[in-house]
Amino acid sequence: MIHKAQLIYKVKHHRLSIWFVVVFFMLSSCSKELDQEPRSILEETFYNTAAEAEAAVNAIFPPLRLGAQGIAPYNATLECHTDYAYGRGSWAQFNDFNGLDATNTNRVGDFWNSFYLAIRNANLVIKHVPEGDAMSDEEKNRYVAEAKFMRAWCYFHLVRNWGAVPLRIESNMEEKDLARNSVEEVYALIDSDLRFAESYLPEDNAAQPGRPTTWMAKTVLSDYLLTTNKYQEARDKSLEIIQSGLFSLVPIQRVDDFERIFGVGVGVTSEEVFHFKYTREGQGNYYPFIINHPETGYFMKGGGKGAYAQYSNVNNNFYKEWSDGDLRKHLWYPMDIGLGEGTVLQKKFIDPAAANEYGAINDFPLYRYAEVLLLFAEAEARTNGVTTEGLNALNQIRRRAYGKDIGAASDIDYQPTSFSPESLVDTILQERAYEFQFEGKRWFDLKRTGEAAELLQKNKGVTITEKHYLWPIPLAELNYNQGITENNPGY
Amino acid sequence: MVVRPLFYLMQSFKYISILIAVFLIADVLFVKLSYAQEIPTPTIANDTVKTPSDTTKAKAQDTISGIVQDEQGNALPGVSVMVKGRPNTGTTTDPNGRYKATVDGNTILVFSYTGYGSKEERVGTRKEVNVVLQAEQEALEEVVVIGYGSVKKKDLTGSVAQVKATEINAFPTSNALQSLSGRAPGVQVYQGSGAPGPSMSVRIRGSNSILGSNEPLYVVDGFPLSGSNPTILNNADIESMEILKDASATAIYGSRGANGVVIITTKQGGVEGTGNATQVDFEANYGIQQIRKKLDLMTGPEYATFYNLRAANDGVNPYFTQEQINNLPSFDWQDFIFRSAPIKSTSLNIGGGNERTQFSIGGSVLAQDGIIKGSDYDRYSIRGSIQHQLSDKLTVDANATMSRLITGRKDSNGGARGNSLISAILGAPPALTPYDDNGGYRLLSNAFNIAAPDIINPLNWINEEVNKTEANLVLANAAITYKPISDINIKLLTGIENRDDRENMYRTNRYQGSTGEARITANNEQSRLVELTANYTKLWNERHNFNVLGGITYQDFINSYVMGSGQGFISNVSGWDNLGGALVPLVPASGYNKSTLLSYLTRVNYTLDDKYLFTVSFRADGSSRYRTANRWGYFPSGAFAWRVSQEDFLKDHNWISDLKFRVSWGKTGTQIEDFYPTFNPLAGGYTVFGQDLHLSFAPETDLPNRDLKWETTEQIDAGLDFGVLDNRLIFTADYYRKTTKDLLNAVPLPTSMGYATTFQNVGQIRNSGVELGLNANIFKGDFKWDVTANVAFNRSKVLKLYGGGDIFGDELKMNVVSDSRTILREGLQRGLFFGYLEDGYDENGQIKYKDLNGDGTISNADRAVIGNPNPDFIYGLNSSMSYKNFDFTFFLQGTVGNDIFNASSIGSTVDYVSGLNMTRDVLNNHWTPENPNAKYPVISNTVNARVSDRWIEDGSFLRLRNIQLAYNLPVEKFNLGWLKRLQVYVSGQNLLTVTNYSWYDPEMPSSGSDYLSYPIAKTYTFGVKAGF
Repeated sequence: MIHKAQLIYKVKHHRLSIWFVVVFFMLSSCSKELDQEPRSILEETFYNTAAEAEAAVNAIFPPLRLGAQGIAPYNATLECHTDYAYGRGSWAQFNDFNGLDATNTNRVGDFWNSFYLAIRNANLVIKHVPEGDAMSDEEKNRYVAEAKFMRAWCYFHLVRNWGAVPLRIESNMEEKDLARNSVEEVYALIDSDLRFAESYLPEDNAAQPGRPTTWMAKTVLSDYLLTTNKYQEARDKSLEIIQSGLFSLVPIQRVDDFERIFGVGVGVTSEEVFHFKYTREGQGNYYPFIINHPETGYFMKGGGKGAYAQYSNVNNNFYKEWSDGDLRKHLWYPMDIGLGEGTVLQKKFIDPAAANEYGAINDFPLYRYAEVLLLFAEAEARTNGVTTEGLNALNQIRRRAYGKDIGAASDIDYQPTSFSPESLVDTILQERAYEFQFEGKRWFDLKRTGEAAELLQKNKGVTITEKHYLWPIPLAELNYNQGITENNPGY
Repeated sequence: MVVRPLFYLMQSFKYISILIAVFLIADVLFVKLSYAQEIPTPTIANDTVKTPSDTTKAKAQDTISGIVQDEQGNALPGVSVMVKGRPNTGTTTDPNGRYKATVDGNTILVFSYTGYGSKEERVGTRKEVNVVLQAEQEALEEVVVIGYGSVKKKDLTGSVAQVKATEINAFPTSNALQSLSGRAPGVQVYQGSGAPGPSMSVRIRGSNSILGSNEPLYVVDGFPLSGSNPTILNNADIESMEILKDASATAIYGSRGANGVVIITTKQGGVEGTGNATQVDFEANYGIQQIRKKLDLMTGPEYATFYNLRAANDGVNPYFTQEQINNLPSFDWQDFIFRSAPIKSTSLNIGGGNERTQFSIGGSVLAQDGIIKGSDYDRYSIRGSIQHQLSDKLTVDANATMSRLITGRKDSNGGARGNSLISAILGAPPALTPYDDNGGYRLLSNAFNIAAPDIINPLNWINEEVNKTEANLVLANAAITYKPISDINIKLLTGIENRDDRENMYRTNRYQGSTGEARITANNEQSRLVELTANYTKLWNERHNFNVLGGITYQDFINSYVMGSGQGFISNVSGWDNLGGALVPLVPASGYNKSTLLSYLTRVNYTLDDKYLFTVSFRADGSSRYRTANRWGYFPSGAFAWRVSQEDFLKDHNWISDLKFRVSWGKTGTQIEDFYPTFNPLAGGYTVFGQDLHLSFAPETDLPNRDLKWETTEQIDAGLDFGVLDNRLIFTADYYRKTTKDLLNAVPLPTSMGYATTFQNVGQIRNSGVELGLNANIFKGDFKWDVTANVAFNRSKVLKLYGGGDIFGDELKMNVVSDSRTILREGLQRGLFFGYLEDGYDENGQIKYKDLNGDGTISNADRAVIGNPNPDFIYGLNSSMSYKNFDFTFFLQGTVGNDIFNASSIGSTVDYVSGLNMTRDVLNNHWTPENPNAKYPVISNTVNARVSDRWIEDGSFLRLRNIQLAYNLPVEKFNLGWLKRLQVYVSGQNLLTVTNYSWYDPEMPSSGSDYLSYPIAKTYTFGVKAGF
């Protein structure tokens, strides 16, 4: 019996030996398993269909729209630089014009990062979409145009805040060291990108409001042309938009009516040209948190949050000289925040239903039709002096601000007789300052017109020098980009 | 490139294996023919006598008996007693050392016992054969586990340190790695945080890699773990840990060997020499942990005085009136938050078996509460191992460990200005109490108009947020070992490591500014292993001892996760268990990663005359993480050792019991942690047009590098082992030099690229050093005193950076100080702190910096090396004394010459703008016109600090890690048959620390950077150990 059992063992052993060999072969054939690709979408295989191209274009927007590095703090920073607004707490340095600490150096560095992140995402579209194998040429041109439009918009902001910046385009996006390009070179890219966008963008974005249209391209083009003193072209381009008849101002009777433009749930107004859009699903606008006060109920009513990081004062000359009949002035309301008598806060962007800091869903208006009108008015005044067309554009803005019928002449209209071309330009600039409070326009206006030093002195009593016109290039750029050796002056 | 042909040779191993198969078949046939000649097995036993049936050569059969004792006359139970020439027969001595056997007069009995060698006695006419066994030179006969096998310590050619169960269990720790600290030369254990649970990191001979984890590879019972910390194991489960340090020992693990290898062997049943008795070990202890040190912060009135001072300096009205100051309370937030917390652990291990089957099972519970409420760590684990001999040729064994870990986490790292738990504890104004008049949490940010807007009452984290991870871990493997002939072992091992965990987070709607937030992340990590190895051992002519190993292994690593979350809860009752009840459901996420590793390995050990020892090994690793062209890495090694003490010319020098020289060379690698570093995956996201979400896809922040290569480390080692006076004194010394080439690094990119980092092979780093170890049995006998000590010196040097330029490390991002703070520069040590050098104060009390390049302004070109986190040397010293029934041990450990970057202190010493509390020192020693050389600058809102030498402190420390007094109860006097051992002890951990470091604790993560980490506790422990 025992012997038999042992025999069975032996036979089993025999089989075992073979089995080990089989295992060895199986194992060594595992080398195929060494080819592993991630179960995710790859740059290497994307950008083929229209849907893929669209998703790639969509990725340009998030770094600009969202969070504590996007448009909200960027805009707040620009507004602190103006002659009518102040920053509280850590934002105060931006109105003091006395250098930036690490917090604020990083803060402006974050904006740089966000613009360039958006530019990278635009470059990926511009680089890969033309090679897509399942799209028509028309579709390719449209998505490339969208990307170029956004790239131009980003560079337009970069060049105004940092001056000469490195131009990252589709052909050099993976080169680490890039020198700064001249301001002229940056504007040349903006020009060509916008003109491409103007040609290939669609007229209409009703299906996806907020997507780039040719009208958005024309508007940014007008702004850039005016900024670079190409007045005639700026005039013609903005006139084209006005003459399209597609846009009109939203009428206002009372202060609360501003909610029809800036409030929650207004959808696409007749005035909207280029807005960033928001929803509740983790895709909110951070700006209302920055400017509102927890006790007013204007933001997160009942929840009580708000940084009220920006404020003004009734004793500021800008505020003092402002006519009380202007409804826009009444967007400022008094609030004691421990910063002295006469402090006022803004209620242009309010969302009582926001759930958290990032939860507001007010659109962020980058370009409204009001700006098209004023761009035209200024370009017209600078090319042709005082004209009816120019005054008409300006007066539409003024009438609306005083609660008047926009289309009808009124007693507060500016009259051609009261202006020289120079004083008209000044009046238009002042109108822009009233109209675009907290929309990030004034600082650029002050810089391009050369009036920053004078008006900041007059209205806020701060002295600024040339070095305050540009922000510091972030340390992470200086440390790792060997092509940049010099920071902006003063840093 | 020499290795490539070698690799092809390895692949031809396939064909060799066919030959082996043929050989095996022949072997089976041979055995089949020969089994008929086998004779039935004679047996002897301690109470039954079996007479061999074959009596042709019969002599008188007698029953003899005897006792086996050691040199001191103690009975030795479990000694194996065998008849020479009949290896499968035998008995063992009973608990009193007695045995019986039935033999004839010509029989030679062989007595053997682990650690005592063996002794042969011819029975002759004696009826009683008593034997005294002499203890061997234990240290040399010990078996040391090495990669894919084991050797006797005397036969080692590599540098391997062993840490045994007694050391691992010397004092209670929640992580077995903690017990490695200071035990072996060149092994540094970093406890970066005092938070309960596994946040250990281990460095063996310094850090080679910039990007890699620098953690050694952990191999548990033959299974190379995918993760770093073997958290699944309880200390009591571990039989031994072997630390493989030089390349000769680690190269067999190829691409994972560069940081050293820690081989962990769990307890196995049926320890040789203990006979068939089942052993039961029980252990329980209870400890109380307390914060080791408190920081000296300002009181309420001091706080108010301080900020009035700031107001005066800044030309603002005082914030507090004198009357207010007089009436302000002084609340100690540190006392309020840090508590005494218990740590409890219990374990039970049962082991036993017989000749054919051995088993071991164990179970343990560890419950460690944190000194911050809610940061608790619980581990429940059970473990079993079984080994069974199916036949002479076939053995199966299986090991499995299952653990459940429950970790409560409290946000304790990083942050600034009170927006994280530790920074809030430090920054909270002492003039404020935690609760307001209505009993709610006081809003610290609103209480004073000077308060930091970011500061959050610490009670929010403690009471209103729960972060709890529940993990189930399994590590299981099974092996079949087949011995076709006595010299060959073929082993097929399969195993799986699996971790399923669920990270639960809930923040209530009472948390400051929160509407309620819940998140659940379920992770799965698994790794599967199949390993086929063959081992051939042969002794030729009594002189040439060969051991040849060959094998192939395949391991894969898979991880996946799914995450769901929501915001806005009207009730906190359901916590994270009702995501559907969220007002705002957030977008879910999921992911999957897989990588594979296929390896061929071989090793040859050859010993000549027991004097000259040679080892060569080779491993080829193919990894899916690299593209085809760079996929295979080849890792050869060679070593030679000379046992000089075996030479005739030393044999007469009796005082030299062992002298061995070792040299080795080899190459090892480091796996890149990223699974797909050569691809550019696009991450999904959203943007909004109209009111609707639209999908977006773009790359994340890493720019892929398609040409990435293996990082390889070449190491040479020269060492010596020297034992004198019967090895009462053993001295070990090693010199090593490790050169790591093609260093992988996440190179930071300029942010204008839109990418933050890319992986590159950036350069070469060298680590070289000396390790010394000493093991001394100073006294033997009634009063025993053993001392082990070790010291290790390591120096690193950046040899080359391919781009030539400096590589900056991570950025510190605190509001008041933000910049990168470490640098890699050719010619310097690695990991150095880099920043500005302070130059006193200017006339306004502002910090001045040295203008190193003399261009008149302070720019980042004025930065220099400001500190070095690498210690000059590290050391450990363990002393254990015993007298009669008392054992007294203490264990010292320390580092010398390392710097710490004290980022923790930034908020509490120069960040004056946010109304934070400061250390009292700041109030007493700041700049005034009368005190221009003060420690701190002027108290003003305008103080601007940078990454500078201000934050660098000496991090040297000497720590009494453990001190213990134990009493072994004289159980033999109790006459309880069932109780074999009983020990009670009291001990203390971290009771004494000598350091100049100003903050909570000098034990740092290896970066040497202290950034608001959870303070380390000291512990008083009481425990009991029993054996049945």
